[in-house]
Amino acid sequence: MKLVWKLLRQHISVPQFAGFFFANLVGMAIILLGIQFYNDTQAIYQSEDSFMKEDYLIVNKKIGTVTTITGKSNAFSDAEIDDAATQPFVQKTGAFSSSSFDVRASFDIQGFARFSTDMFFESVPDEFVDVKTEDWSYEAGDRSIPIILPKDYLDLYNFGYAQSRNMPKLSEGILGALKLRIDINGNGYQDSYDGQIVGFSSRLNTILVPQAFMAYANSRYANNAEILHTRLIMQVNNPTDDRITTYLQDNNYETDQDKLDASKTTFLLRIIVAVVMSVGLVICILAIYILMLSIYLLVEKNSTKLENLLLLGYSPSKVSLPYQLLTLGLNLLVFLIAFAILLVARDVWLGLFADFFPDFTSPSLLPAIIMGIVLLIVVSILNIIAVHRKVMSIWNRKD
Amino acid sequence: MNTITLRNTLPEVFSQRTDIQSDVWLQEVVFEKEKTYLVEANSGTGKSSLCSYIYGYRKDFQGDIFFNQTNIHNLSIHQWVEQRKGHLALMWQELRLFPELTAMENVLIKNKLTGYQKRKTIDEWFERLGISDKHDALIGRMSFGQQQRVALIRTMCQPFDFIFVDEPISHLDDSNSSIMADMLMEEAKRQGAGVIATSIGKRIELHYDKQYKL
Repeated sequence: MKLVWKLLRQHISVPQFAGFFFANLVGMAIILLGIQFYNDTQAIYQSEDSFMKEDYLIVNKKIGTVTTITGKSNAFSDAEIDDAATQPFVQKTGAFSSSSFDVRASFDIQGFARFSTDMFFESVPDEFVDVKTEDWSYEAGDRSIPIILPKDYLDLYNFGYAQSRNMPKLSEGILGALKLRIDINGNGYQDSYDGQIVGFSSRLNTILVPQAFMAYANSRYANNAEILHTRLIMQVNNPTDDRITTYLQDNNYETDQDKLDASKTTFLLRIIVAVVMSVGLVICILAIYILMLSIYLLVEKNSTKLENLLLLGYSPSKVSLPYQLLTLGLNLLVFLIAFAILLVARDVWLGLFADFFPDFTSPSLLPAIIMGIVLLIVVSILNIIAVHRKVMSIWNRKD
Repeated sequence: MNTITLRNTLPEVFSQRTDIQSDVWLQEVVFEKEKTYLVEANSGTGKSSLCSYIYGYRKDFQGDIFFNQTNIHNLSIHQWVEQRKGHLALMWQELRLFPELTAMENVLIKNKLTGYQKRKTIDEWFERLGISDKHDALIGRMSFGQQQRVALIRTMCQPFDFIFVDEPISHLDDSNSSIMADMLMEEAKRQGAGVIATSIGKRIELHYDKQYKL
C-alpha cells in the first residue's frame, strides 16, 4: 500500500485541500456552536420552574380603578370557584388562601447584610406544588415552615442590590441553606418560626407556604377569620385552548402572561439559531463541494496511474482507499478542531451565563457531539462514494 | 482456467468491413494451457485490441470470448480482479509502467499484491536481463528497451494460466531477446501456463505450437 500511496499522492494540491479544510472547519464550527448555544440557552428557560407544571394557569380578577374606589372585593366567591372548576377545559382547580395575620421575615447574610421585611403568606392545595412531600409538609406546632419564594426576589437581590453594592450573588442552592426568621403576630399570640426555602418560582408571584400551615396559622393568629380567595390555580388540558381565553374575558379575569413571553423569546431564539446554523450548513456544503472538485481533479490528473493499478489487479476499492482515507482523515481533523473551538467558545458563554444565572448548570455536550458525528459520517460517506464512483468510471473507461 | 475460446470475435470498428481475412477474427480459436502461440499481424489489424479484450480492458467487440465455459461478458468486477491477480498475465505493448517509481518499485507494486515471487527470484531476473544496476533508477529515466525488461519481470510476478506478451522485444537486441524468451518459457513451463506472443515482424523466438495470422 505504501507504493500505491507513493504513486497516488502525486498531484495532491495542498492549497485546495487547505481551502476545503478551513471552509469545512468554519461551517462545522458554526453548526456545532449554534446547536450547543441553543441547547445551553434552552436550559436557562427550562431550569426556571421545577415545581410548577406548565399547564397550570393562575387566574385573578382584573383590578380596575372602579374596584379600588368602590372597595369592591376582588376575591372569588364560592360560586365563582365552583363555576371555574366545572369548565370543560379544566382538570382541577384550587384557590389561593392568603394569611389574615401579620408576618415579619428577616435574615442575615453573615457579615454582609441583614434584611427584614413585612410580608404575607399564601397557600394553594398541596397537589399543585411539585415538591417532595417530606419537604412540603407542616404539622401543628412545628417550628419550621417550608417556603417557596418568587424568583423575582432573588433576581432583585442578585441584579439590583448585590450588583450595586458589590455583594456576592446568591444561588438558589445557597439560599436553600439559609434560614429565614419568621415572626408572626395576631390574636394575642406572638411566635417565631424558621423559614426553610425549598424553592423559587418564576410563575408564582407570591410567598407560598403549605396549606396545612395556613389552616393552622389562620385559626391560631386570625381567630378563623373568613379566608378570601383572590387567585385561582387551574390545571388545564391545553393552555392554548381558545375556550380559556373566552372564559377569562367573559368573566373579566386575567392570567399570568410570563409563560407566553418566555415562549416568544424561545421562538425568536430558535429562528436566529436556525438562521445561523443554515449559514454554517451552506458553508459546509460549499466546503464539501470544494473537496469533491479537488478530488475529481486529483483523480483526473492521476487517472492513468489509477487505470494501470486496476490493470495490475488492484481492485477498485483498493485503489479508492488511499483517497478515501485522505478525506476521512481530513474530515476527522475538521471535526476535532471544530469541537475544540466549540469547547473554548462555550467556556466564554458559560462564564457569562454563570454571572447572570447563578443556578445555571450546564447541560451536556451531547447534542453537539451527535450533530458533529452525524455531519462527519454524512460528509465522509459522500466523499467515499464520490471517490469510488470516480474510480469506477475509470474501470468502466467512461470519461 | 484451461482454455480461452474466441468465437466469431471481431472489433466493432471492423464490423462494416466485408473483406476480413483472418485466422482469429470471426473464427473459432482456442488457446490451451501449456501450449505456445504466436499471433502475427500487420499494424492496424487489432493485435493490441485482442489483448485488451481478453484482459477485460476493452469491451468494444462483437462475438464472444470464453474462459473455459464462462462468457467474459458475465464476469463481475471481483472476478476480473481475481483473473488479473491469479490467472491472466499481460505484458502491454505500451508497458504501462509507472515513471514516478523505480524499476524495483514497479515490480514490487505487483508482487506485493500477489505475494507470488520471492525477492531472490526477482533479483536473479534483473541480473539475467542485465539491469541489476537499474534497481533504483526511475523508470522515466530508462530506455524503452530497459523498460521492456522490467515490464516482463513485473508481468511474471503472479500466478497465471495464460501469459500474453504484446510485442515484447520490439526494442531489444537478439541476445537480450533470447534471454527473455528463455526466462518466459521457464516460468510458463514451471506454472504449466499457455503463452501467447504477438508480433508485427520481429518475433520472440519460441517453439510455437501454433501460429495465427491476424
